Amino acid sequence: MGIKLTMLAATGSDKMSGELIGTVVITGLIVVFVALILLVLCVSLFGKLFEYINKRKDINKNTTSKTEETTVNDKTDIAPVVEDGISDEVVAVITAAIASLNTNSKGITYSLKSIKRSNNSSRRAWANAGIIENSRPF
Amino acid sequence: MLEKFFDAISQLANESGFAGLFADGGWKSIVMILISFIFMYLAIAKKFEPLLLLPIAFGMLLTNLPFADLYHPEFFNLEPGHDLDFSQILHDGGLLDILYLGVKLQIFPPLIFLGIGCMTDFGPLIANPKSFLLGAAAQAGIFLTFIGAALLGFSALEAGSIAIIGGADGPTAIYVSTELLGSGGFDISVGTIALAAYTYMALVPIIQPPIMKALTTKKERSVVMGQLRPVSRTEKLIFPILVTIIICLLIPAAAPLVGMLMFGNLLKESGVCERLVKTAQNELMNIVTIFLGVTVGATTRADKILNSEFAKVIALGVIAFGIGTACGVLFGKLMYVATKGKVNPLIGSAGVSAVPMAARVSQKVGQQEVPSNYLLMHAMGPNVAGVIGSSVAAGVLLSILQ
Repeated sequence: MGIKLTMLAATGSDKMSGELIGTVVITGLIVVFVALILLVLCVSLFGKLFEYINKRKDINKNTTSKTEETTVNDKTDIAPVVEDGISDEVVAVITAAIASLNTNSKGITYSLKSIKRSNNSSRRAWANAGIIENSRPF
Repeated sequence: MLEKFFDAISQLANESGFAGLFADGGWKSIVMILISFIFMYLAIAKKFEPLLLLPIAFGMLLTNLPFADLYHPEFFNLEPGHDLDFSQILHDGGLLDILYLGVKLQIFPPLIFLGIGCMTDFGPLIANPKSFLLGAAAQAGIFLTFIGAALLGFSALEAGSIAIIGGADGPTAIYVSTELLGSGGFDISVGTIALAAYTYMALVPIIQPPIMKALTTKKERSVVMGQLRPVSRTEKLIFPILVTIIICLLIPAAAPLVGMLMFGNLLKESGVCERLVKTAQNELMNIVTIFLGVTVGATTRADKILNSEFAKVIALGVIAFGIGTACGVLFGKLMYVATKGKVNPLIGSAGVSAVPMAARVSQKVGQQEVPSNYLLMHAMGPNVAGVIGSSVAAGVLLSILQ
């Protein structure tokens, strides 16, 4: 239900009384604080709910994936094979991009196995990226 | 034939803008044109919020060119009980009259908020919901400035329009002042409010640091805050829906601004409306910004600027920013005490909704004490909370004063 505030008799050109000034200031401050405190409570509540849900998911994941851990760790411990001529900075950027993909990939982790130059396109990489972007289906 | 030629030249000369500059009261147009040059300089050379200040300054130039007739304030000054005469605007209006309908009908500011929502990440706020309180505290600048405006003799509607400058939010200031000053007959205009708001938003890095340092101790400024918890995609999806429902039910007058802000944010967080998000962030924002800026600038006619009321608005504007910053920092100190030193009070100053400049100022002042202290993400929480807070304050002002 919306807050219905009393219309005060203040026309455009009247000078204000102390009562009107006090009403606007006190009402305004209280309403803004009440509205945002309500939001604090609601956001805190669903934040705690999601933390609880995520904790439960993590516990379940840990109990079922312990046996796979060593194999996964073995895979991620292997250093990527990098073609000659590709600088360390390029490797770092590609690795960082994959790391950011891992944070959003819902439990699936990607690891870098090798980096080599692509020779199968006459277009430059950015041109290819632009074409893919603009021809993506709706 | 020669006589007719001279008659035609004479007529053109009498109808030219140059004749208007030398007519009675024409000197005011010259002064306004020079003032528009100053704002153009601030926008271009000093980079004071150029995306809006430059269109506003150019709108000021266009509206003060005599006989250009791009904007007619008399079409929009409504007496109580009267509606806009759309046929007159479309028939007799200039380009800026027709574009100004987007401001008058309250279309442009909510569309700007749609774009802002598409560009805002509420993650830091969701991770630390107490930041909402800092956003609320900073809005005290709005209501305390209302008192100052009242004491200086402004009417309720003028004081409400001036007070909203303290929210440090341009579209909100334009939205509120358009509603409150719509009937005309005031000494200030929407353009006056917008000019003050955008100029001071650009001055946040100059206005805030002295206040922040004066109100905090070295120990308080040196607090290093812990890392924020990760926020899931589901939380980011639920947040805009939750905020829309709560705020719009509580204060319906805030619905256009908060609703569009959250709509834009939901589009972005959904991840399935990339094309819409790209348009809202880029083409839509740019088009609306151009139209909003130039038409708001067109309201800055000589009679609204060359008076003592404009000087009072400029003075009250800086007071509003200062009080908002001070209230945010003081509430931050309260949280510092309540959390036994876990909250750095400097992030309270980011509760004014000048996103992201105010958050960057908190980061910079914090780093002056502890170079390895990264307060930016912590300050973004109150900063974006301030956007919501100023929209709520706008809704309250409109509910009470209209």
